[in-house]
Amino acid sequence: MTLFKYYRWALLSAVLLAFSAMAQAGEMTVALGSEPTTLDPQSAEDGSERAINDNVYETLMVRTTDGQLTTGLAAAPPSAVDATTWLVKIRPGIKFHDGTPLNADSVAFSINRIIDPKLKSAQLSFFNSIAGAAKVDELTVKITTKGPDPLVPVRLYWLKIVSQTYVSSDKFAAAPVGTGPYKFLAWDRGSAITITANAEYWGGKPSIDKVTYRFIPESGTRLAGLMAGEFDLVPNLLPEFIAQAPKSAHVESVLHPVIVLNADGGITKDVRVRQALNLAIDKDALVKALFEGYGRIDQGQLLSSADFGFDPTMSAYPYDPAKAKKLLAEAGVTNGSLQIVGTSGRWLKDRETVEAVAAYWEKIGLHVDVKIFEWTEYLKRLWDRQTRPDAVYVSSKDPLLDPDRPFSTYYAAGGMGASNADPRLAELVTKARTEINATERTRLYHEAIRIAYDQAYLAWLLTYEDLYGLSTRLNFTPRPDGKMLVHAMTLTK
Amino acid sequence: MGRYLVNRIWHGLIVIFGVTAIVFVVTRLVGDPVSVMLPIDAPAAQRAQFSHDLGFDRPLAAQFGDFLVDSARLDFGQSMWQRRPAMEIVREKLPATLQLVFLGIVAALVLAVPIGVLAAMTPGGRLDKAATLISLLGLSMPQFWLGLVLIYVLAVRLHWLPTSGIGTPAHLVMPVITMALPALARLVMTVRSAMIEELSKQYVKVALAKGLPMTRVVAVHGLRNAAVPVLTIAGWELIRGLAGYSVVVETVFAWPGLGLTAVQAISRHDLFLLQAVVFTVAAMVVVTNIILDCLYQLFDPRLRLGGPA
Repeated sequence: MTLFKYYRWALLSAVLLAFSAMAQAGEMTVALGSEPTTLDPQSAEDGSERAINDNVYETLMVRTTDGQLTTGLAAAPPSAVDATTWLVKIRPGIKFHDGTPLNADSVAFSINRIIDPKLKSAQLSFFNSIAGAAKVDELTVKITTKGPDPLVPVRLYWLKIVSQTYVSSDKFAAAPVGTGPYKFLAWDRGSAITITANAEYWGGKPSIDKVTYRFIPESGTRLAGLMAGEFDLVPNLLPEFIAQAPKSAHVESVLHPVIVLNADGGITKDVRVRQALNLAIDKDALVKALFEGYGRIDQGQLLSSADFGFDPTMSAYPYDPAKAKKLLAEAGVTNGSLQIVGTSGRWLKDRETVEAVAAYWEKIGLHVDVKIFEWTEYLKRLWDRQTRPDAVYVSSKDPLLDPDRPFSTYYAAGGMGASNADPRLAELVTKARTEINATERTRLYHEAIRIAYDQAYLAWLLTYEDLYGLSTRLNFTPRPDGKMLVHAMTLTK
Repeated sequence: MGRYLVNRIWHGLIVIFGVTAIVFVVTRLVGDPVSVMLPIDAPAAQRAQFSHDLGFDRPLAAQFGDFLVDSARLDFGQSMWQRRPAMEIVREKLPATLQLVFLGIVAALVLAVPIGVLAAMTPGGRLDKAATLISLLGLSMPQFWLGLVLIYVLAVRLHWLPTSGIGTPAHLVMPVITMALPALARLVMTVRSAMIEELSKQYVKVALAKGLPMTRVVAVHGLRNAAVPVLTIAGWELIRGLAGYSVVVETVFAWPGLGLTAVQAISRHDLFLLQAVVFTVAAMVVVTNIILDCLYQLFDPRLRLGGPA
């Protein structure tokens, strides 16, 4: 190579580099742990699908950054006409990315589609109570429920609105068309999905022009990409990696690892034993040792602070092994033994949590038999209504930020994961489910929380914090509902 | 030869059938796939409905019958999660795995033959010791760890290569190194010992005494005779890679291949996708074996079958 050629080559690459740096000024890359299984926003229960479609599709109701429910595509919050009928007005003048207008047809269609058994939507359980929807006029939809349902506005926060005309397209599940701040651009299967800013977005053009989502299964590789400057946002960062990330952000999540105690049999039948099991666990040490401090002690209520019905006056069982031993003695338990059931690799530090809890229980003089099962075997035991394990670890999730789902599952007698036969608690949860008045509903939940706490039906542990690794140039405030809304992010030049 | 091939293909079909049948039965016994698809707190009634819609509540024999008829037509049904034909997904992911595995084996072979031959020329010498050290390292370093170390050094620290992904030749470097190293280690040892054995044989001494140069003796006579064991190990490495050992490399480097697809299908209990993957892998293993057998006969006439006795 002559010197001249070399010089020309260097110049060319310098120009190219400058160009690529310019192009990247408004572009960011997100590293997800898995590829979305589909981009149909209504069929799967898949976090990677949501991570992308949360930016492409919109919902009638949305949440503010501190978790408050407010209007999205709806012009006003839905109003209850009678116990089972709601009216929703749609914001006028909004268009789908393919130019078709957002109207009552699409909204009613979206609701009826997700509850249609033929769709086999994995999200159906979020809409169990909804009977159907119908167009009233061009921008008004009537929603009917099977019974009184105070959660209709919350459910509308979960339901993405699809275009009635586009659903029948064979590209629908691969090339989404929504009303959101970002338009779908490309899906390079196995490798990346890209979306670009929607210049005509009704809420104003977003500041970041283009987002690339990459699918990186290994957490160490995600961290490496973040450190190398290839990624700007890495959700689900492991707590032990946070020191290496250029920048990080965290927020209280909707996940509550707890241990359901069997109130109907075994040594845990005695409330004093269940209370002792709570007092025996040093929750603060769990947060620090297992989660590097990125977690909060569950204040004995299975709810995050942004949730409806959260009771700020509650406080967790303190760490008091001496009192725990005393309670065990009072209950007449000497050389007691119990079994704790858990799983491995499904939730953050699931196995480690079970083992730590078992060690605390051993410390107050119990023999603890730790059983870690493969996921489906574990589920069989969690759901077995005939024989309840003495103690079963589970991570309760509350994506709707409302107590109905977790309480129906783990508190109310007969719930899929509940281990008590308390009629009053079940009654409160059932009543609250159909109580439209928010104040009364809160009161019912507060009473339920108090009963569950006093009876120590669970051993409450903690709430994780969602951890995000960020590049130094990305500004992002994480949200309690875990959504990564790019239009609320900016890049520092 | 022709009859031999027909026989081999026939046996291969039985193997493929057996493997897919076993996977069918085992996956249906290990747990309810619906329990993984729906949120953990979804009501039991809805779970049952899902199970019914997907046909999992039918008798196992009836499900198996349908499975046989469909798989004979290469129709493995729809992926339960992706809701598109399972074979379409396999076809999409297969090229990435093939690329990774073949490049890994080729790189290993290209390096292993000269290293192994040089080591064999002076057993116990400096070169031989270096070759043994390389093999020891290659065999004792877990691929997972090696991959992460490469990423840290070459991508994070030096910025020479992208940390992960697929698309450009630069993306290939680290995955191929990680894929090739254990194979290289085994192949170096195989070439070395096979060559040492050959070089100690009478015909080599005769050839050298006749005045033939060492290089010619090694390259033409020794290598050809050492080819059979080397081919055996290389074939075994190839089959290992295709049968799923590429999964570690695919996971570390986010390489969108069949191994990664299989692992995800297992963790999601996506039975139909898993069956399509297992069928494809079984077929590849069978075909590779048949090709290897044919190659043996090319290198060593003594192994020729079906010819005149």
